[in-house]
Amino acid sequence: MKLAGNDILIQSLIEEGVEYIFGYPGGAALHIYDSIFKQKEMEHILVRHEQGATHAADGYARATGKPGVVLVTSGPGATNAITGIATAFMDSIPMIVISGQVAKHLIGTDAFQETDMIGISRPIVKHSFTVDSAENIPEIVKQAFHIATSGRPGPVVIDVPKDTTAPDKLFEFKYPNDVNIRSYKPPIDPDPRQIERAVDAIIESNKPVIYAGGGAINSNASEELIRLNEILDFPVTNTLMGLGVYPATHKRFLGMLGMHGTYQANMSMHNADLIIAIGARFDDRITNTPKLFAPKAKIIHLDVDYSSVSKIIEANIAVFGQVKNALLEMIKLLEVKKELIDPKKILPWKEQISDWKSQHGLNHEMHLCETDDKPIMPQAVVQHLYNITNGKAFITSDVGQHQMFAAQYYHFDEPRKWINSGGLGTMGFGLPAAMGAKLAYPNDEVICITGEGSIQMCIQELSTCTQYNLPIKIININNEALGMVKQWQDMNYGGRHSASTYQSSLPNFVELAESYGHVGIKIEKNSELKSGLEKALSMKDRLVFVDVYVDPNEHVYPMLVAPNGSLKDMWLDKETKT
Amino acid sequence: MIQRKLSIILENKPGALVRVVGLFHQRGYNIESLHVDPVEDLKEYKFVEDKLNIKLKEGEVSHLIIATTVNDNLLRQILRQINKLIDVLIAEEVK
Repeated sequence: MKLAGNDILIQSLIEEGVEYIFGYPGGAALHIYDSIFKQKEMEHILVRHEQGATHAADGYARATGKPGVVLVTSGPGATNAITGIATAFMDSIPMIVISGQVAKHLIGTDAFQETDMIGISRPIVKHSFTVDSAENIPEIVKQAFHIATSGRPGPVVIDVPKDTTAPDKLFEFKYPNDVNIRSYKPPIDPDPRQIERAVDAIIESNKPVIYAGGGAINSNASEELIRLNEILDFPVTNTLMGLGVYPATHKRFLGMLGMHGTYQANMSMHNADLIIAIGARFDDRITNTPKLFAPKAKIIHLDVDYSSVSKIIEANIAVFGQVKNALLEMIKLLEVKKELIDPKKILPWKEQISDWKSQHGLNHEMHLCETDDKPIMPQAVVQHLYNITNGKAFITSDVGQHQMFAAQYYHFDEPRKWINSGGLGTMGFGLPAAMGAKLAYPNDEVICITGEGSIQMCIQELSTCTQYNLPIKIININNEALGMVKQWQDMNYGGRHSASTYQSSLPNFVELAESYGHVGIKIEKNSELKSGLEKALSMKDRLVFVDVYVDPNEHVYPMLVAPNGSLKDMWLDKETKT
Repeated sequence: MIQRKLSIILENKPGALVRVVGLFHQRGYNIESLHVDPVEDLKEYKFVEDKLNIKLKEGEVSHLIIATTVNDNLLRQILRQINKLIDVLIAEEVK
């Protein structure tokens, strides 16, 4: 079959099974857009800003595990996509970003809307390609999808000079069946000797903790992790990125760990004699001061990425490969060595952890307050949402206090239901990410828990939701300030709120939502909270924007003491430190 | 800390070198010297073919030598980061 470059590109995406492409047209991408117009297999979602396109593709990828696909034009189209690419890169999310480029003969001439996209995106992509000829497009697309989705996933940019997609030159189109990149062979199966060492260390341990992160979700290893712990019955904590990979309502679940982790999770990590890290990277929000991190613990680290192991915290036993495969091998060996496991040995440790939990665990009953003389607590909003949705909704979030409250109080029992920008911490992520998740799962409840600061960073996407009829629910936890910034200013800068308040400049969010054709609900009293949220969630076919005014003085706790603190050093409330 | 030499075999194609060089700055490492040549005489590079089970052609890959001053842990981290780059075939320390 003979096709022009633009059709070759689109047919290649169709061959990869792409359902949705999130984008925004412009000069250098117009040939490609013409090909999109001519086909029916995939739907293009026209966003209102390219950042929205990348986050929507990202939300789709996190919810489904399939790569999100983005199409933008050259110059400002490409640079606007950068924040979303960096967001996906930091959280290891598979994404394909196709950027238009000026024609080859114009490259380097400062042509209209020319920018060096490959150069600008280089530090925040897993890999990138420049199309040199239409003939090479199928091979490049095949390689790009392979790289984005295998090993440690990540975003891949394909920069497409306009002349390579010209409709008047035809080439033979044949999509390759396999892909082989000689210099790229990510590990899959673990070394059996390391599995044996890991299992021996597990059997010897008295104070073990399983610490699972986003890598376990990327490897689709939730089921294997649950099976492993049916044998071990060890305490489990998840990172912000790992929430849902182990059921939050399981009795062995400690909650999230780290900066705003639970008291019992942080204390368990600090006092452990064995930490089993599964697809987690010892990020600085987890370790606090690395030198003071878990002083007595032996570390087993399972990861697909060699460079993540012993980067911050030296691993005693490194297991390279797909986390799923490593867990399966560990399960097999543990079943053989079953009689060597002494469940009684770790009973005192479990009692200790249960004491920690009863001493300073989170208060999950803040939603019971219905008196109107007290302000609405942001935690109560999340608790109500959890109850109303039976914990089954997809929750996206933005960045700040509301994100931490969502992570702490919505109990995720399944992976891929919690969608947030953990690594980069990108405000503006929540709404477009919810669009991507809703397109992937139109029959599921998709809720964006946001704040009045974050939502305004991509609020233009309310218009996209109107165009494509995406009935997501937006819960705006409105404390009339950049809450997390203000919290830090309260704690470390003598309460000087530098540039963290808006001086009465906030819009009327209800009217704003209505002007886009959506429903707006304002909630200001505890007595209205439950019924208001129920009403919003009962409108299945409408986007509802719920603007909830909460206590502006509330802080997120626990909070690690930094700098120079360890995981046992936490603020438990405004006055109490451990 | 002593100066180390890294020997890196990478694809000889546009953009490959800058990925390696960029990574040094991106991760906060310094480059003290750098030398790169396309590989013409394949005899000395049989170890690449053996390790990756591939056949090289003349001029298809480049040999890059970078000198940098780092401790053992950082050296291991740098090599892992470089080896992770898609266009890099092998990166190792010159002993």
